[in-house]
Amino acid sequence: MGLFLQVLLDGLWSGLLYGLIAAGLSLIWGVLDIINFAHGEFLMAGMYVSFFLGFLFKIDPLVSWVASAAFLFLLGVVTYKFVVKRTLGKAMAPLLATFGLSMVIKNFAMNRFTPNFRILSGTIMEGKVISLGQGAVMIPVPNLVTALFSLVVLGLLYWMLTRTRFGWAVQATAMDVEAARLMGVNTERIFILVFGIGGACVGVAAGLLPSYLATHPDVGSLFGLIAFMVVAMGGFGSIPGALLAAILIGLIESFAGFYIAPVFKYVAVFGVYLLVIMIRPKGLFGW
Amino acid sequence: MQSDSIKRAIPWMLSLAVLALLPVTGLLRGSFLSHVLVMILLNASMAQAWNIIGGYAGQVSFGHSVFFGIGAYGAAYAVTNLKMTPYPGALAGAVLAAVLAVIIGYPTFKLKGHYFAIATFAIVEVFHRLFMIWEDVGGAVGLDYPILKDGWRNFSWSRSKVGYFYGALILFGIIFSLVRALEKARFGYYLKAIREGQETAESLGVDARRYKLAAMALSAAMAAMCGAFFAQYNYRVDPSMVLSLDMSMRFVLITILGGIGTLWGPLLGAAILIPLQEYTRAYLAKLGPGVDLVIFGLIIILVMQFQPKGIMGMIDAARKRRRKLAAAGNEHEGGRQ
Amino acid sequence: MQRKLMLVVMAVLLVLGAGAQEKIIKIGTLFPLTGPVATAGQRCTAAVETIVDIINGVYPNLDLPIAKKAGLLDGYKIVLVKADHQGKPDVAKSEAERLYEQEKVFAIIGCYNSAATKPASAVAERLQKIFMCGASSSAALTEREFKYFFRLAPTDRIESYEFVEWFQELNKSRNANIRTAAVIYENTEFGKHAADEAKAASAKAGIKIIADVPFTPGATNLNSEIQKLKAANADALFGAVLGADYSLMVRTMKQANWKPKIAINYCSGYQDPNIAQQLGQDGWYFMGSAGYTPEFGMRFMKAVAPVEEYFKKKVNVPFDSNSIQEAVAMYVLALAIEKAGSLDTEKVAEVLRTTTFDSPLSMGGKVQFEIPGGQNIKAQSVISQIQNGKYITVYPYEYKDGDAIFPMPGW
Repeated sequence: MGLFLQVLLDGLWSGLLYGLIAAGLSLIWGVLDIINFAHGEFLMAGMYVSFFLGFLFKIDPLVSWVASAAFLFLLGVVTYKFVVKRTLGKAMAPLLATFGLSMVIKNFAMNRFTPNFRILSGTIMEGKVISLGQGAVMIPVPNLVTALFSLVVLGLLYWMLTRTRFGWAVQATAMDVEAARLMGVNTERIFILVFGIGGACVGVAAGLLPSYLATHPDVGSLFGLIAFMVVAMGGFGSIPGALLAAILIGLIESFAGFYIAPVFKYVAVFGVYLLVIMIRPKGLFGW
Repeated sequence: MQSDSIKRAIPWMLSLAVLALLPVTGLLRGSFLSHVLVMILLNASMAQAWNIIGGYAGQVSFGHSVFFGIGAYGAAYAVTNLKMTPYPGALAGAVLAAVLAVIIGYPTFKLKGHYFAIATFAIVEVFHRLFMIWEDVGGAVGLDYPILKDGWRNFSWSRSKVGYFYGALILFGIIFSLVRALEKARFGYYLKAIREGQETAESLGVDARRYKLAAMALSAAMAAMCGAFFAQYNYRVDPSMVLSLDMSMRFVLITILGGIGTLWGPLLGAAILIPLQEYTRAYLAKLGPGVDLVIFGLIIILVMQFQPKGIMGMIDAARKRRRKLAAAGNEHEGGRQ
Repeated sequence: MQRKLMLVVMAVLLVLGAGAQEKIIKIGTLFPLTGPVATAGQRCTAAVETIVDIINGVYPNLDLPIAKKAGLLDGYKIVLVKADHQGKPDVAKSEAERLYEQEKVFAIIGCYNSAATKPASAVAERLQKIFMCGASSSAALTEREFKYFFRLAPTDRIESYEFVEWFQELNKSRNANIRTAAVIYENTEFGKHAADEAKAASAKAGIKIIADVPFTPGATNLNSEIQKLKAANADALFGAVLGADYSLMVRTMKQANWKPKIAINYCSGYQDPNIAQQLGQDGWYFMGSAGYTPEFGMRFMKAVAPVEEYFKKKVNVPFDSNSIQEAVAMYVLALAIEKAGSLDTEKVAEVLRTTTFDSPLSMGGKVQFEIPGGQNIKAQSVISQIQNGKYITVYPYEYKDGDAIFPMPGW
């Protein structure tokens, strides 16, 4: 029973982390109808910000996530203005342009920061574990905190989209750009902000991650891919869908990894995603 | 009619013949140059294979490394485990890839836009990871060729690249001739019609799904042949080499850079990207790691900004501009309506 | 501007001068300079570079025969042509071809990743050129019976037998009662070979493998992997886990609050001094094979320290088990060229096949290649344990710096 609970919780933490990483991607997809292929590299860039703040100025990831989020907000805006904007509405062009961007960011990091793995030591949460039932179930604090952040960020995002004037404008733009424009929405500003906010969301994850994961130029690749699955499985720009899909993917990974075989865990993740998408072509919450 | 199509084929046949004479001229003496030429021909063929489904039928698949990989594994398995020549393996690989293409295509073709793209990513990941743990084909270690006698029998040449050059040229000739024929055939018109509007095409009585599946199968079989060549060329295959997202992206990027849905786009794309990739890796190493890939990424971004139809698009635009200028010149002042 | 012009003029003169003299030997290095294990590749390249500097210059302070005079033979300078295989076998193959045929290198040193060494050395064999392999540890490489392939590092087979021997020694002398073992390894050429050897060696010694856990390198987490290990709770753990995955593994083990009695690593993240330092106390008491540690060098390989100073200037870390093997590869090749007295590949290869070399940079001080296959049969490795942040050699006893701390203290 303890073991089952442990596997369940491990899956839940991973799932919520994936949800936090995927939230921004989902938002951007929902509003602009594009996939930001450089999403995983955004994560990596944000992790470097947090790592260097911790390494050089001893700022804890619990604080420096703010800086990572701000940095990725800017990176998002710049990406929109210089990489994405001109390609909008041209089929696969935005995806390929952001793929080019992902190569640039990854290899720039490789060139400037070397491929060394960088681990931040001496962080507040480092190695802290909550032990339940005489060690039958262990809850690692950094993962738990990240999971809580995930719920808060996703909640805020959902609240913003459904309960604020800005959110209504965003939704109107997502549904029909022309109509929104006629109604007086500054759609260009919406696009910029959405890209920035999408970046900032992954920035929160990126800021927290160095407290338990090594930073290196390749760290974003698999996270990025999983984020794509989360978003597509959840459905077109749906925040609750993304959350549900993320938790599902985390659990599949954890259970398949433990009860079938660890090498099988990503096969299961991608395989189940394919099954879901066959049954519901537009994802769980898609319309 | 008959003689017309023969007449049109003459320049194409001539250019193939000219290419075939290249090794005789001694221009290929430097092995690196011939390596680059072989790679251009191979990558152009890969991109053209993808172009059938991605360009003409408009289904942008990021899953072609799966078919490529199956072809590569087919040839390698025949050589290493069955101790045969690679040909039956390559053929089996091509057939298998075509069958798999139909199995994959049947459910995924109903997915729209990004959903289709992401589903093909996931398929690559599933196959990659399955091959990683499938011990009969070497698992993560892959299959390594023993040292074989040079020649066509083993499709292996270690001392000179001329054999590979002709092998690649044959592959290139077959795939490009096929697509050339496709452009003029009814099948090709149907595919284009489906790309421009599936509903419209269907209302005219075109069974869109059947044609798309046929195109996918054809495209997959051709990609598998390219994969078999790749395994023969490298004397080795492992999952990361052939069954990866990077490899899938290569099919797409070359075609898009050159010009998607055009006959010569894949060749142009390969002729630009491959030398860039090979020479920057070889000669930009001094600037530190990764600079070549940064440049590569920047080129992709730039092309996407200004001409998503690739180089063929640029050529077309330039041609149109010239024609327009000429027309304006002819009609003097009153040319513009 | 003027400085630039001068530089250009000088460069042109240099090129012309070199062209006029032709007294250069080109050697290729082929390592992963980009990609996931690029750090290791860059260190290996720097190690070869260090030896080349020493060969080309005059270093009276170094106690190496090649340091005293400039160049090899009668004044031949070595020029390195550095190539990058990105960790990809197909790139390794075509870069090896480019180096041999286009750059006309005399020999290649590489490739760190066993999966890249395989196709690259096959190119060498087909072209009948020398391939020196420093660190790739897959035993399969030297089982191909190539004629022009020479590998310095001990194979994972040699290491596995040493590990198991060490377990048996602990069972005898410390009443350790190691009866079961688990393996965790990245699912790649390197990891799989290491795991296979670990299983074979354990089976021979009657140690039961009760958990076999391969994982995908670059995973986002290792939770289920570690939970599997915890559930099996073996006495001993064999690890073949590189780089970032190693630190993730150690931290996940801590989170899961699990440790075996003894954890022992193949050439992996364990040996990387940077990772050890960053892991801090969490990384203590793990063990691993080592072909070299700075502490070991201070006591048994006195010739290394001064050479290491030059290496440190390039990469800011001391030698590790991998990079030093690449340095030895260059060093032994230089000795062989000197001894052959010519730049004829056949003659140099014959010297490599038949000579026992004195190599102050190698553990044990000797290098001799087995024919056929090209494995350095004098290759040795020791088992070290990180104690108080230092690599302490614990076995074999004739080399030991201190006693092993056994079993591993809990978290």
